[in-house]
Amino acid sequence: MNPLNIAATGMAAQQTRVATIANNIANMSTTAYAARRAAFADLLYRQEVTPGVLSSRTGTIVPGGIQLGSGVRTASVVAEQTQGSFQTTNGDLDLAVEGRGFFDVELPSGERVYTRDGRFSLSPDGLIVTAEGFPVSGGIAVPEVARSISISAEGQVFAVFNDGTPPQEIGVIGITTFANDQGLEALGGNLFRETEASGAPLGGFAGIDGAGFMRQGFLEESSVDVVSEIADLIEAQRGYELNSKVMTAADEMLAATTRIR
Amino acid sequence: MSDAITVNVERQSGLLRELSVIANNIANASTDGYKRDAAIFAEYISTRENNPSVSIGALRAHYTDLAQGNLVQTGGTFDLAIDGDGWFAIAKNGELHLTRAGSFILDRNSELVTPEGYPVLDESGKSIRIPEGASNIVVATDGTVTADGFGVGQIGVLTTDSEGLSRAGDNLWTTTGAIRFAEFPQLRQGFVEASNVSAVEEMARLIEAQRMYEAGAALQTDEHERITQFIEALGGR
Repeated sequence: MNPLNIAATGMAAQQTRVATIANNIANMSTTAYAARRAAFADLLYRQEVTPGVLSSRTGTIVPGGIQLGSGVRTASVVAEQTQGSFQTTNGDLDLAVEGRGFFDVELPSGERVYTRDGRFSLSPDGLIVTAEGFPVSGGIAVPEVARSISISAEGQVFAVFNDGTPPQEIGVIGITTFANDQGLEALGGNLFRETEASGAPLGGFAGIDGAGFMRQGFLEESSVDVVSEIADLIEAQRGYELNSKVMTAADEMLAATTRIR
Repeated sequence: MSDAITVNVERQSGLLRELSVIANNIANASTDGYKRDAAIFAEYISTRENNPSVSIGALRAHYTDLAQGNLVQTGGTFDLAIDGDGWFAIAKNGELHLTRAGSFILDRNSELVTPEGYPVLDESGKSIRIPEGASNIVVATDGTVTADGFGVGQIGVLTTDSEGLSRAGDNLWTTTGAIRFAEFPQLRQGFVEASNVSAVEEMARLIEAQRMYEAGAALQTDEHERITQFIEALGGR
């Protein structure tokens, strides 16, 4: 029954790959979405004849041995945190991080989570919040009388007034970096949470210690390359079909066995 | 049992195992750095006293095709492929393992690891740590890693005799042969070596194995009938 199981692991792996591609394509227009890639690894081997041992039949060292594999598994599906291209929006509260790092966002539970999606707006209380309404960088209050908001490359937020008073600094939007961006847990809603794998969040400011600069009036586009995703999709589909052919062949061979009498 | 059946059973069981090998190749057609396996059938002479010897074809060994797979561009900073001879050195539970699968990531300590979390070793057998906050990481063709222009280590590329290689799963290999540093490694950053399994060839082998097996099964049936007729003919007297 071994070939049947091996082909089944192959089909499961290709299915994971298709699911990853489908999610990438579905998110091709999601702001600051990082494309995921599935990586595979071979499973354990059954050592029938270990390479390098002395052969009992011929007395020579077995050069190749017999190692029967048992299939494939998904090793990882990680987000490739590459920079997407920038889209000009000219919105006062549209921010993009040019380089590494995440905005920090506070959930209603008080937990800090992280996002690269800089499509911010104002809450009824005048706080800078994400599209879902979570406060950014601990909540920066914008005075009601402010005419517009200006954000520097380092993340300082200035309120600009109509009546001639000089612009006033009302807060700083920080940038948090991680030792391992790919270890972050995706929560959906473009949000990420720190994990054991990502390392502790390194709170900081734009342009300092490797963190990227902030760009006001831009949004980071999804980093999905649709053409390469489609090419991958075709490959995954063919891979699935090949594994199903193996299953058919194994089935027919076993059927041939049962026909022997 | 007649000689024909003995010989045939060995052949059939070998073909079933060859099917496992082919199934494993096809299952790993998308596994980075996977090397194709092939079964080798060899003649085995069974000698018995006062009897003519019988030649049996049996699955005796494996052949691993170490040919290089296609280098696929991914653009990832820590996606590395070795163009030509050589292996990456990986420490798994304190032991040296080799791999050709170069889709590495950083762990929580900013060390370069495989997707399973095993550290990638440098020239002196230590793990490679990328400084936190480094934004521009370049891996040169000789394995030298620079972060924002400062050298932080050199990825070790080893060569070994193909005879001593043994598969350990997780895209890793162990070796009993001598290990040397590759003289002029050619690393490609932003590329990953794909599996060297060719779907067409594997399908051809699959069909061949299947037809051979069916032929073997038919032979078994014929031999059975022959013996049945023989017994009936003798018993009918």
